[in-house]
Amino acid sequence: MRRTLAGAAVLAATAALLVAAPALAVTERTSFIAIEQQVMCVTCGIPLAEADSVAAQQEKAYIQRLVNAGETAAKIKSQLVTEFGASVLALPPDSGFNVAFYLVPIAAVLAALATVALLLPRWRRNRRAAVGAAARGADPDGDADPLSAADSARLDEDLARFDPR
Amino acid sequence: MRRKLVPAIVVVVAAAVLALLVYGLTQQGASRALDEALATGHRPPAPEATRPLPVLDRVDRSQESLSHWRGRVVVLNFWASWCDTCTAESAVIERAQRLLASSGDGTVVGIDYKDLSSSAQQFIDAHGMSYPNLRDIDGSFAAAYGTDALPETFVLNRDLHVVAISRGEITRQSWLTYWIRQAARV
Repeated sequence: MRRTLAGAAVLAATAALLVAAPALAVTERTSFIAIEQQVMCVTCGIPLAEADSVAAQQEKAYIQRLVNAGETAAKIKSQLVTEFGASVLALPPDSGFNVAFYLVPIAAVLAALATVALLLPRWRRNRRAAVGAAARGADPDGDADPLSAADSARLDEDLARFDPR
Repeated sequence: MRRKLVPAIVVVVAAAVLALLVYGLTQQGASRALDEALATGHRPPAPEATRPLPVLDRVDRSQESLSHWRGRVVVLNFWASWCDTCTAESAVIERAQRLLASSGDGTVVGIDYKDLSSSAQQFIDAHGMSYPNLRDIDGSFAAAYGTDALPETFVLNRDLHVVAISRGEITRQSWLTYWIRQAARV
């Protein structure tokens, strides 16, 4: 019985959160500086935050009015697009052809990684083959003494010196 | 063979990036195709004449295209509320509108370029502009006319072909009157 009550309470709390979340989001306010950094001066082609032309001042005043009215960032940007078109946004919307703006860099990185993944084993194989060939060049049969007779004699002498009596 | 492949790919990619850069730079400048056509004695058709644009001073958000005025002389004037020289020119344009309205030959059509609709409406009220005004929200309509600085004016004949262009403020009323009469003759 107690378990059922606890479950019902959790369900009720979750439902309350789900209902309240959109309402909380709607009332979420933004700041002038936050918006200014996300939009362009439409007549100068530079970020609005860096622009000071008459048109830029009008645009800034318009944003300030919307911020003061308590509009959300999404609503303000939507209003700006209605007034000036999509080019007012510093980042293009992620729909239609503009998706390429986001996908191309990701695709480029993936392509680079795939290229490395494909070529790396080949490079390593080639490197091993080259080392092997070099070793075979020095000792084609693989059974020759790698030391010369003089070096071999000197090594024996040295080893004999360390040999415990 | 393989040794030459990597430098070849690098060269091709670098050439492609360079070509893209050159293309981008050449597309930056405003087109002067209309001016060149006029200079060679042609009367080019007005670009984007059938494209609907929002009517500025209507609350019902209706749209209109230049073709609505086909059969009449149109003085197409690009302006914006943030443009100082547009303020200075507005009296000349308004006088042209009165001339066209009284003769019944045509109308001025204002194109409000990259402007806030509320600011534009205030400008219209402040300067007593009695002619229709359309909104070029993103400047793409103006781009078809090679317009990237304001004010600019295009005189169109009854077939909506360009007969005269003023790139910059019109300071002489006589220039505009002369070309309106020329356009009305055709």
